[in-house]
Amino acid sequence: MRSTRVRIMTAVVLGLVLTLGMVGSAAAKESLIIYTSMKESLIGGIVEGFNKKYPDVAVDYQSAGAGKLMAKIAAERESGKILADVIWTSEVPDFYSMKQEGILEKYETPLIKEILNPFDDYEGYFTAARLGTLGIAINTDLIKTPPEQWSDLFKPEYKGAFGIADPALSGTSYMSVALLEKQFGWEFFDKLRANQARIGKGSGQVVDDTASGELAASLAVDYITNDKISKGAHIALYYPPELLMAPSPIAIFKGGPNVEAAKKFVDYLLSYEAQVLIAGEGTLSVRTDVKKPEEFMLPEAGDALKRAIKINYLEMMANKEALIKKFTDTLQGR
Amino acid sequence: MNVLNTRASSAPLSADAGVSGGPARTRQGRASSAPLSFRRSGFGVAQVILFLSIAILVVVVAVPVLLIFFNAFWVDGKFNVRDVLRIIGEPDTWQALVNSLVIAAGTTIGSTIVGTFFAWLVTRTDLPCKRLMKGLFLVPFMLPSFIGALAWKMLLSPRAGFINRFFMLHFGLAGPIFNIYSYAGIMLVEVMYLFPFVFIQVCGALERMDPTLEESARISGAGLFTITRKITIPLVLPSILSGALLIMLYSMAHFGTVAVLGIENGIFNIPTLIYQRIHQSAGSFASIRTGTVLATVLVVTATFIIWLQGKILSRGHYQIIGGKSFRPMELKLRALRMPLFIFCVAWIGFTIVLPTTVIFLVGGLRTYGLSFTWENLSLDNYKFILFNYKVTRDAIWNSVTLGLSAALITMFAGVMISYVIVKMKVRGKGFLEFLGMLPFSVPGSVIALGVILAWSGKYGVNLYNTVWIILVAYIARYMAFSLRANSAALEQVHDSLVEAARVCGASMWQALRDIVLPLVRPGMLAAFFLIFLPALRELTASIMLYAPTTRTIGVAIYTLNEDGETVMSAALAGIALIIIVTGQLLVDRFVGNKAKGQG
Repeated sequence: MRSTRVRIMTAVVLGLVLTLGMVGSAAAKESLIIYTSMKESLIGGIVEGFNKKYPDVAVDYQSAGAGKLMAKIAAERESGKILADVIWTSEVPDFYSMKQEGILEKYETPLIKEILNPFDDYEGYFTAARLGTLGIAINTDLIKTPPEQWSDLFKPEYKGAFGIADPALSGTSYMSVALLEKQFGWEFFDKLRANQARIGKGSGQVVDDTASGELAASLAVDYITNDKISKGAHIALYYPPELLMAPSPIAIFKGGPNVEAAKKFVDYLLSYEAQVLIAGEGTLSVRTDVKKPEEFMLPEAGDALKRAIKINYLEMMANKEALIKKFTDTLQGR
Repeated sequence: MNVLNTRASSAPLSADAGVSGGPARTRQGRASSAPLSFRRSGFGVAQVILFLSIAILVVVVAVPVLLIFFNAFWVDGKFNVRDVLRIIGEPDTWQALVNSLVIAAGTTIGSTIVGTFFAWLVTRTDLPCKRLMKGLFLVPFMLPSFIGALAWKMLLSPRAGFINRFFMLHFGLAGPIFNIYSYAGIMLVEVMYLFPFVFIQVCGALERMDPTLEESARISGAGLFTITRKITIPLVLPSILSGALLIMLYSMAHFGTVAVLGIENGIFNIPTLIYQRIHQSAGSFASIRTGTVLATVLVVTATFIIWLQGKILSRGHYQIIGGKSFRPMELKLRALRMPLFIFCVAWIGFTIVLPTTVIFLVGGLRTYGLSFTWENLSLDNYKFILFNYKVTRDAIWNSVTLGLSAALITMFAGVMISYVIVKMKVRGKGFLEFLGMLPFSVPGSVIALGVILAWSGKYGVNLYNTVWIILVAYIARYMAFSLRANSAALEQVHDSLVEAARVCGASMWQALRDIVLPLVRPGMLAAFFLIFLPALRELTASIMLYAPTTRTIGVAIYTLNEDGETVMSAALAGIALIIIVTGQLLVDRFVGNKAKGQG
């Protein structure tokens, strides 16, 4: 009796382990691995749509902060093989440096004519697939008068309660810090420090902290904020006139086994169908024929491109570490 | 008692006092009884088993650890201590070292006081419902402390924590009553979930202590204070110290709590700094070196602690703590009886019920920051996580399969290795005994770093970014559990049984199969579950090793929290708690009966 039970247990366990092996080896015809800094709410739907259109391509994706993904890619290069086929983040300078290092596949998508292209020096190594914007998210229970200017952040009601995601972890945060520094100089951050602004973790966490009231306001990415607003969080997103825009480029890694599937994905991402999904999540589409949904207080894409603070990505790339260090020292240094 | 045993040992480096010195200790006087050693007929078999055992331990444990030492001390082809000191002297690393020590010290002191006090209450006083209380005080063993940290973050974060907000709202406080993002906060959470290490040790000692010693002191006219000071405390002190050292060891190398509560506010300890460096600086050589140096410090400290523990235990094994059952002298608490009982109930409510409830409630919210009203609460997140969310479905699947595979492999390997150590008399055994000690002193983050060095392609095999590298890490991490359970079981199989079989003409293989294996099966089963359950919630090693599709439950909870998906991470944590508690209860029922008779 006792040993039968043991035997049954062992059999079950062995069976499970074997199944693990089987599942691992049963592969689809084509496969595709995407590294992206887009959160689940955005990338999930897009991959689902892509799978419906191309059921033969098995798609896997990793969603994490741009900093982490780049670290992962660097580690993978070290060990000889980049696992990802496609990378889609919002940290534009990374794409310039990856292009320089020659690890990106050149692919001039036929759809380029149909989209708003924020890159004057477009060569086909990476293509903007979304125009991310950042504004000030406020907790509507804690802050009653919506901010209109960036300088509103120096007001007492934001004291000790305005958060910026760690630019070492979040690509959008790094972009915004660079843009704000370009526009207003370090003086802007000195004043933020005087008002005890805080450095948070990732770009998602500062928004969640704003929703919970841990922060009264934060520098927030459009779709992350809009996703929480649509779920009922007590937050609202406002854009001061000097607009922070971080285009999110997508690029294909050179020499991988799945380049063809990757190209299919790039084209799908730029298609009307996928861009409607992107707009529906509360961020700006790169297609002019996609209408922005009414419920979000987003600027028009074309208008946003004009209003956006301009920056030279190549210069930015060279200064990344120094910029992050100076930012951290300015806000947290003793 | 069985229930207690399985629970107690489900924590790393379990509290079972007698064997925490590792499996190498062989207490039986077998020196004279070696007439039928394997040399006679089974030279081949014995050597093969020994060789296999050594090979497994070398590949899985020794090589990664050696690679860490090598990378730490060997710079540009030269042995270099000065550079190691330079790295340790860097402000960030030095701070992390100090933090690890401070947090571990605070946690140890706190847990020791709490654990000893509760142990005394449930064994030596007339506290109501003592049995139930004793069981409840062991529940924290089941709760992963990083989930506890997550819950306490929700309760006590300075501005949004539910408790802080409640006080600010209703008592007009200007600031939070307690800020969990602090050294004190981290230590408090660790104490809540680690004190059972001391608790169970001290309970055991107090229960096993011979009451006649105290009685005779009393008859001779000594007062309660004198008896406690001169008799009870000296007898129990070794158990208290060894429990305290276990906590020290655990807390030094603990990742989860510090990661959840500390990183954001610049509080790092050694494992979190290793994680941060490896993850953020693009896996550069400099960061790996810093990691290896820190890991070396961890291993050295851990080895020292284990050595110290062994010393204390060997000194403290008085014969007077016998195994007799008896009714200990009970102290009448009188007027304090109810207040202390209420205090115990409050403690349990505060450390177990409250955090668990918060996890489940937040997991039911539509989005974080809403209030707990019926219209905001639903089961949608739980459904989403179980059925629609690829990341979490993968994570649950990965954790379950990894746990099962690691437990199976480690169980069989452990039986074989323990057999060599406990039963066989072959040359080269001493080396194996030394290797067998290794897994006990290597913390999870060190193992993770070691397997990265060993298995990411530099030496021919590249497992990086696959589940296999996590599996290798789990096997290394949990080998100690298996060795302990199996050698305990094997020590109870007397050599004469095998000898009798051999005399009757059975081959060595037959003797093993028909005599030894059936007898140690309970030990093997215990080893299996001792590995499977902790592996389900493993975080420290997997967080350094995960890839897109190889998140484990722990990693998924942690990264969801880090990404600001607080409600999702709470819901997954809730599901994980259900899985873990169900698993534990099943084990208690199932193995509880089987393991009867083995220590």
